[in-house]
Amino acid sequence: MNIIVCVKQIPDPETPAASFKVDEQAKKVIPAQGVAPVVNPYDPQATEAALQLRDAAGGGKVTVVSLGPDSARDAIKHALAMGCDEGVLINDDAFEGQDNFQTANALAKAIDKIGEYDLILMGRAAADWDMGVVPIGVAQALGIPAVTVAKSIEKDGDSVKVERVLDDGFQTVKAPLPAVVSVSNEFGEPRYPQLRQIMMAAKKTVEVWSASDLGLSPDEVGEGNRVLPLEALYIPKIESNVEIIEGESPEEKAATLVARLREAKLI
Amino acid sequence: MDFGLTPMQEEIRTNVGRIMQRFGEDYWLARDEDHCFPDEFTDAMAEGGWLGIAMPEEYGGAGLGVAEAAVLMQTVAKSPGAMSAASAIHINIFGPNPIVVFGNEEQRQRWLPPLIRGETRTCFGVTEPTAGLNTSSIQTRAVRDGDQYLVSGQKMWTSTAQEADKILLLARTTPREECERPFDGISLFYADLDREHAQVREIPKMGRHAVDSNEVFFDEMPVPVGDRIGEEGKGFQYLIHGLNPERILVAAEAIGIGQEALDRAAKYARERVVFDRPIGQNQGIQHPLAESWAELQAAWLMALQAAWLYDNGQPCGSEANASKFLGAEAGKRACERAMITHGGLGYARELHIERLYREVLINWIAPVSPHLILSNIAEKALGLPKSY
Repeated sequence: MNIIVCVKQIPDPETPAASFKVDEQAKKVIPAQGVAPVVNPYDPQATEAALQLRDAAGGGKVTVVSLGPDSARDAIKHALAMGCDEGVLINDDAFEGQDNFQTANALAKAIDKIGEYDLILMGRAAADWDMGVVPIGVAQALGIPAVTVAKSIEKDGDSVKVERVLDDGFQTVKAPLPAVVSVSNEFGEPRYPQLRQIMMAAKKTVEVWSASDLGLSPDEVGEGNRVLPLEALYIPKIESNVEIIEGESPEEKAATLVARLREAKLI
Repeated sequence: MDFGLTPMQEEIRTNVGRIMQRFGEDYWLARDEDHCFPDEFTDAMAEGGWLGIAMPEEYGGAGLGVAEAAVLMQTVAKSPGAMSAASAIHINIFGPNPIVVFGNEEQRQRWLPPLIRGETRTCFGVTEPTAGLNTSSIQTRAVRDGDQYLVSGQKMWTSTAQEADKILLLARTTPREECERPFDGISLFYADLDREHAQVREIPKMGRHAVDSNEVFFDEMPVPVGDRIGEEGKGFQYLIHGLNPERILVAAEAIGIGQEALDRAAKYARERVVFDRPIGQNQGIQHPLAESWAELQAAWLMALQAAWLYDNGQPCGSEANASKFLGAEAGKRACERAMITHGGLGYARELHIERLYREVLINWIAPVSPHLILSNIAEKALGLPKSY
């Protein structure tokens, strides 16, 4: 079974809030000094799912793909250390500032270039922008089904059976292969690479493809060609107030509290 | 001159950091209170292959250098596990070095793979009640008796001996007065810790309660000749071969603990509001913390330089000693400053600062005191007359 896993390197979500800054003029996040970027926390789960499916099928290949700066090689190396077979980095300054739809398009081109695949797996969302649209965008570009927020994935003949996480329960769906499936944290803990695997991964070469290698023209990529224009970028100011409800008795306090909550349209 | 970590070292930091995240502050506080060895943690490290980081590949290790081992130990100690975590695996990382360098092939095949897999647990029997830094005056005797030795005597500060199966044991095979030089006549063994002939008594101590420290009493404990490392009488030379890497690792651990304390102090100083402003806005709080940051950074560079020298086959005695001296002082001071930054809460167990402080003192005292380090640097690096 041939599987392609897409991974993303993101700013560390554990970065202290005080170090998180945006340049409102340039509409860009300013990388926090001295905090190394990390693999999007959902992506090792997608990688884990890919490795389990490959091994259950008794063979095949897992290729890991990432679109990002040169440092995104680390995210690929991590997936290789977990047990993926090959890695591809899509790296080009021309991608700078582009949106999720352009990224989905570029990933779809890379997946086409890789060729044979039965399944494409990704994390349910990237923890930086938390939009979760790339899996659907890739499926759209490739003209194949997308199943999102998977808790478990099972190959079933020429299709895939996926248990999805909903707000109020679980849903089991079946989709014909090839398909895109996004994996949620409910899938379970990913494996920890062993030192020996890390060393083997360090020796593996990661292929690097540019925009032109993927047949993308300059008027499709980059900030100037965003499908989703970014109007403004700022850190919202959150104000909080505390009001102590006074009253003679617990009953009176409760009644006042209910009235206040109604006024605030919270109940 | 490249001051960055290599991609491999970055990978070590990331992956070991992930393992450390599985063992949170509650886990380590509980081990400190119940005095139980952190088996789950050592199992996780063995499973990941980390115990063999500096051991040769042909025996199941990774064949990496002391620099990589230092990054590993700094990452382990820069966690709520601090010295309890570091000491639980410390001996596996570089302790078997005399076996690697001076053992024969049969011994390496027999001893190293189970150590790397975490199946055998070993301890270090060097220090004695009357022989701490002056190792040549050890009293423990190994008397040849046919194809075995009979070991009698007492060791002190033997960590992890409560559960160890093996002991790397230094004993006199020729009385000191019959030797030309005081360090001759000492042999090194990697022996079964045979509890029929060895009594292990735990020493109650100030901190690092998860990892036991012990007195070990030997009463004619038999050790086969085949368990002696190298030649009889040359054990001390074999032992000192591994001392520089050990100093570097102890430095890395102290620095890790200091960084953990400093991170906690900085977080507290950002969040704790007194007189309508975070206390971290006061220079009286800022400056000591900033000073600790600078001291820890400097000590870490020293440790990495010493490791680089060792890994490149160059002499590194003064550098390794300096890194242990600077690392321990910086780590200890960072813990003190973290405590005063937290005020009364720093003294409370639930904030973990007092535990970090109790644990970093080990790196300050052991395996060699700051006094003797300075005496050694004075002699070796400055050419001053030997004082000890």
